[in-house]
Order: sequence, then C-alpha cells, then structure tokens
Amino acid sequence: MKKMIVIQISALLLISGGLGGMFLFTDVYEEVQSNIVLILCLSCMKLEVNTIKEFTFETANDEPHPDFVLDNLTKGPVFLHYSEKACPGCDIMYPIIKQFFNVEFEKNEMFYEMVNYENSSVSYIYTNIDYCSEEMRDSLSIYDKDHVHGLPMFSVVTLGYDRGIIRPYYTSVYGTLGFDNDEERISLLTELMRESIDMYNQNLEGYNPDQQ
Amino acid sequence: MKFQIKRLLSQILIFFSANLGAFGLKTGFCYPFFYCHSCPASTSACPLKAIENSVYNVKDNGIAWKLLFYPILILGFFGALTGRAICGWACPIGLLQRGTGKIARKLKKYPVIRKLGQHKIEPRLRYIKYFVFIILVVITSALIGFMFTDICPIGFLTGTIPTLILYPGKFMPNPFFWVALVIFILFLVLIFTVERGWCRYFCPIGALLAPFNKISILHISVDTEKCIHCNACSEVCPMSIDVPNMKRDLECILCGKCINVCPKSCITFERK
Repeated sequence: MKKMIVIQISALLLISGGLGGMFLFTDVYEEVQSNIVLILCLSCMKLEVNTIKEFTFETANDEPHPDFVLDNLTKGPVFLHYSEKACPGCDIMYPIIKQFFNVEFEKNEMFYEMVNYENSSVSYIYTNIDYCSEEMRDSLSIYDKDHVHGLPMFSVVTLGYDRGIIRPYYTSVYGTLGFDNDEERISLLTELMRESIDMYNQNLEGYNPDQQ
Repeated sequence: MKFQIKRLLSQILIFFSANLGAFGLKTGFCYPFFYCHSCPASTSACPLKAIENSVYNVKDNGIAWKLLFYPILILGFFGALTGRAICGWACPIGLLQRGTGKIARKLKKYPVIRKLGQHKIEPRLRYIKYFVFIILVVITSALIGFMFTDICPIGFLTGTIPTLILYPGKFMPNPFFWVALVIFILFLVLIFTVERGWCRYFCPIGALLAPFNKISILHISVDTEKCIHCNACSEVCPMSIDVPNMKRDLECILCGKCINVCPKSCITFERK
C-alpha cells in the first residue's frame, strides 16, 4: 500500500511540476491557442471553402492593412501565402505556389521576394504561422475575408477605386482552392494574379499611400 | 440527489464548458477528453491534434517536444487523480454514448448482438485503441503526414457537421470528407449496437488515460470477501468488465453503476 502511495504522489508531483513549468517557462499555451484553437487546419474540418475571389476594400476585421503590406504595395500587388506545419492542404499547395512564382524556400521559414510575374512585379510573402512574428500571424485575421480561420489561405492585395479614392483592395482564397488537380488550381491563381495586376496598373497613377 | 443524476449533471455541465467558444472564450488548453477544436463553439484544443502537430513530418520538422508533452501532461494530471473517470464523468462523447447505450443494451436481447459482445476475441479488440493511437495519431503523422484528425469521426460529428449547418453554402467537402463520413457512419452503428463501443475499442484518448487507472488516486475497489458473486455489477457495467474480479481494470471509467446495483455494498470508490 505504501509503495502505491509513493508512486501516486511521485506521479502527481512530476506531472504537476512539468505542467506548471510548461505554463511558466514556455509559450505552449499561446502556441496552442493561436495555432490550433484560433486558426484551424481546413483538412481537420474535412472541408474546403467555396472559392469566391471578389476583391473588396474593407479588411476582414476592420483593422488597417499592416505596414509591411502597404510598404510593398507601392512596388506592385502583394501575394500573401499563409501556411502551417501540420496541414495536409498546406503540403498540397506548397509546391504548386513555388512552381507558380518560380521561387525556392524552406517550408518552415518566413520568406519574402519580389517576383516577376508575366512582366509585372509582385511581392510574394510566405508566412508559416508556426514560425513567424506576431505581426505576420495577426495579419491573417485581417485578410480572412470569409471568416474561415482556416489554412492554407492565399491573399492578394492590389489597388482599387472606392468612392473617389484609390485604396488597397484584397481578396482571399482558401484551402486547395476547391479543385482536386493542379491545372485547375494554377488556372485560378493565374486568373487571380492577372486580375490583380490589371487593377493595380489601372489605379496606380491615382494611388497616394499617405491618403490611406 | 441520486449518484447517476450527479454524473449526468457533471457531463452536461462539462459539455457546456467545452463550448464556451460560442461566447468568445478560446483558450490555449487542451481538452482532457475527446472534443474537436474545429467545432465552431470549442473552447480548447483536441489533445490529439497537439500531439500530431508535435511529430508531423518528423524528418523535415523534428519533434516539437513542448507540444508533445503538453497534452500528455494535461491528460496525465487528470489520469493520475481519477484514472478514466474523465471518460465516465466529463467526455461529451461519453455523454452521447450514455444515450445510445440504452439502445445498445436493448439490442442485446438479439442473440447475434449478444454473441458479438461475448465472443472470445472481444477482449482482444480492446487493444485496437492503443494501435489507433500509436499508428494513426503518432506514426502516420510523423512519417507520411497523414493525421488521424483528418478522418476522425468525433471531429466529423462536433466540427464538420456543425460548421456545415451554421454556414450553409460556404464550405464544400474535401477528399477526406467522404472517408470521414464512412467512418462516422460506422461509428454510429458501433455506438448503437455496442454499449460504449467507441470507448472500448477505438478511443485513442481512452488509450492514453487507461494506464493511469493502475495508479490513480481515485479508483473502484471490490471487497471480494463480502461479494456473493451475483454478477449484477458485471451485468450493468457499460464497459463489460468482470467487476468482481477486477483490480484497477484499464477499462473502468468509474461510472459507479456497479456501486449502485451491488446488493451487499461491497463495491466502493476508494481514494488511495
């Protein structure tokens, strides 16, 4: 009996100590909250989002566009690629996007490059929410147009005309874009990029970043 | 208040507390039971998803140790205190099976169903849940990037179905959906035909909690000297345990039904 009590107390002390230590000395609570509870992996939901690629100027949570987007918007449309570590949908889209923009980078690192897409400059920004700054992670909710809170997510920020002012316009598409083959996914991305570049070129002249 | 009513109230209360996300409460805890974080109202994370995230594609990503130990320690904390009482007193899927168990019990009058439950292979089927945990939660996530949560019937029930109902037209099925749907239908058949069938054979969280029954502070004890072997306890046990001969059984969910029916009061909760 005494042996059992010793085992029970030891186990409880070890577990409580370990758990307390994790709460005190690691960011595991925040990591679970921000990466699992608040942002879902779409494949966990066994669902895809119906793709609606209409551009809109109001951000998803009414927050202003982040500085890193506005800074890059003066050079061309901004393509934001959000991903996470454990997400089969992200794994499907990762090589497609790399091929689409002809870029090379590691899945678990943040990545930024000015790419040339059909003779236009596009800022490509890759964010893996497991390995990124808070600002980058927070930008996901700004561009979560359909309030899906799911990954992968792709947002394109460009310029558009809104009641007399040229403003940043954006759209977001999700998951594996609603298709089960790479050709259709690439075709949708192509359509999206061409439209955003057209909008950008039409509105660039009247765009004043200080007016935002 | 009757003991089983208290248990029902505990299950209902914990079900609501697991869904406080509907009021904006989204925490960084892992549930110590089976519930899906993709439920629109979820408060916390599924412990299995945290484990899967920690080992996912281990060759490229390595192991995220803190994410691996975090859910295990949360489950371990409750396990060391109460063993699998979490399954009997807290788990929302346990609550669901409490309802379906009544139908499963009625179906036992059919010889085919009764024979299924008494087949000599039945006790061995209980090891499946350990394989589900080791193979589908850990090994496939680590080596081939396939996660149990992608086809999880509990995720389908608590995450996928409510999402489709709450946001009609916004989502469409992905390739995992159809596999998960088939598994979900099999899950329903199982819980309607075998009382606590999911807990007995497949629940990977039950598999994680079960070993703690061997050392938990709270457990069920049988006074074998007073026992008259009427077997009323085994008859009523939702986990089909041979109660008079059990000693800290891995399958016991501490529901206390055996305590209620024992005519000699020789089964008790013990705290040591």
